[in-house]
Amino acid sequence: MGEVIVVTSGKGGVGKTTTTANLGVGLAALGHKVALIDADIGLRNLDVLLGLENRIVYDLTDVTGGRCRLKQALIKDKHCEGLHLLPASQTKDKTAVNPEEMKKLCQDIAQEFEYVIVDCPAGIEQGFRNAIAGADKAIVVTTPEVAAVRDADRIIGLLEAAELRNPKLIINRFRYKMVQQKDMMSIEDIIDILAVDLLGVVPEDEQVVVSTNKGESVIQDERSRSGQAFRNIVRRIKGEAIPLMNLNQNGMLNKLRRIIGLK
Amino acid sequence: MASEAKKETPSSPEKTLTGIKSNFIDSNTILVQRTLRAGQKIHFNGNVVILGDVNPGAEVVAAGNIIVMGNVRGVVHAGAEGDTQAVVMAFRLQPIQLRIANHITRSPDEEEMSGTYPEVAHIKDGVVTIEAFSTGGER
Repeated sequence: MGEVIVVTSGKGGVGKTTTTANLGVGLAALGHKVALIDADIGLRNLDVLLGLENRIVYDLTDVTGGRCRLKQALIKDKHCEGLHLLPASQTKDKTAVNPEEMKKLCQDIAQEFEYVIVDCPAGIEQGFRNAIAGADKAIVVTTPEVAAVRDADRIIGLLEAAELRNPKLIINRFRYKMVQQKDMMSIEDIIDILAVDLLGVVPEDEQVVVSTNKGESVIQDERSRSGQAFRNIVRRIKGEAIPLMNLNQNGMLNKLRRIIGLK
Repeated sequence: MASEAKKETPSSPEKTLTGIKSNFIDSNTILVQRTLRAGQKIHFNGNVVILGDVNPGAEVVAAGNIIVMGNVRGVVHAGAEGDTQAVVMAFRLQPIQLRIANHITRSPDEEEMSGTYPEVAHIKDGVVTIEAFSTGGER
């Protein structure tokens, strides 16, 4: 029986879908059988990020509505062996599925996969309740912004109310320089408010935009810093103890500057 | 039955002419005068004519033919009830997925399709084929 992990945030645009795609690709690259579920019915994106949009025939609502079998709706990733996607419907809305159906669906998929990652829609309404219904664990994604952290706090409260305790936190789009200049919340500030375990910090990276638009994942890019951060997160999900990567991009340079008295 | 009328529509010129007189609409054809955006879906038991684009994430399902006076970038399904004679025609045919009857084709993963002229998709020798649209042909 596999593990069902929901990726959620409350606020939109913080990187739930990007995180879901990268964790899926990362886990599959390590040889695991992974299924990604796009629970954002009506505003599906995960298929586009993975470059699988043109393969969709059946979607999640077809499975829950009994119009097709689960196997027919699951799409194999084109790059990554072992990675599968259950796409969301684009023409229906969140009310097309209820939490009981989602719970059953997650259980069925978890029979055949080691990791099932559910991409949750933004918001705290029915779409959120559907997405978390079948989850065993939760990952909360936030960015170092007051509004995103506030929403993450609300989500953690709702997760606890739904018996999903000890969610793990990913801080996305982190800018070391801005934090140093006190223009952005630091990791410590965020952990201080949310009081949950930190799963990883992903630096802001333009490469994410490039890969996303190409239907690829930044985690496969060996040179990308955000890719490295996601690779570390994947290994932490597997239970390994990996220290946080050095987020100071110009580490050596800054040291040098300090030595020669420029700073 | 709708299926009988449907078969007549493409081949019978009288029928088509009547259609023109009645503002392109007969009992078996609908005219959609707008662009279909992501999440919008048209399902019709006959022919569909669209004066606009079909954007990515939009879907057109027709039992008969689909004619788009614009760009097709979404999903189109002609002959959805099993009519293998159905066609899809568009000014720019760049669908994410194109289906005719029970055949499914998808856009190539790598290169962009670069059709800058009207094209028509139909089933030829059991394979969905996309060709430049030319008047005066059989259809």
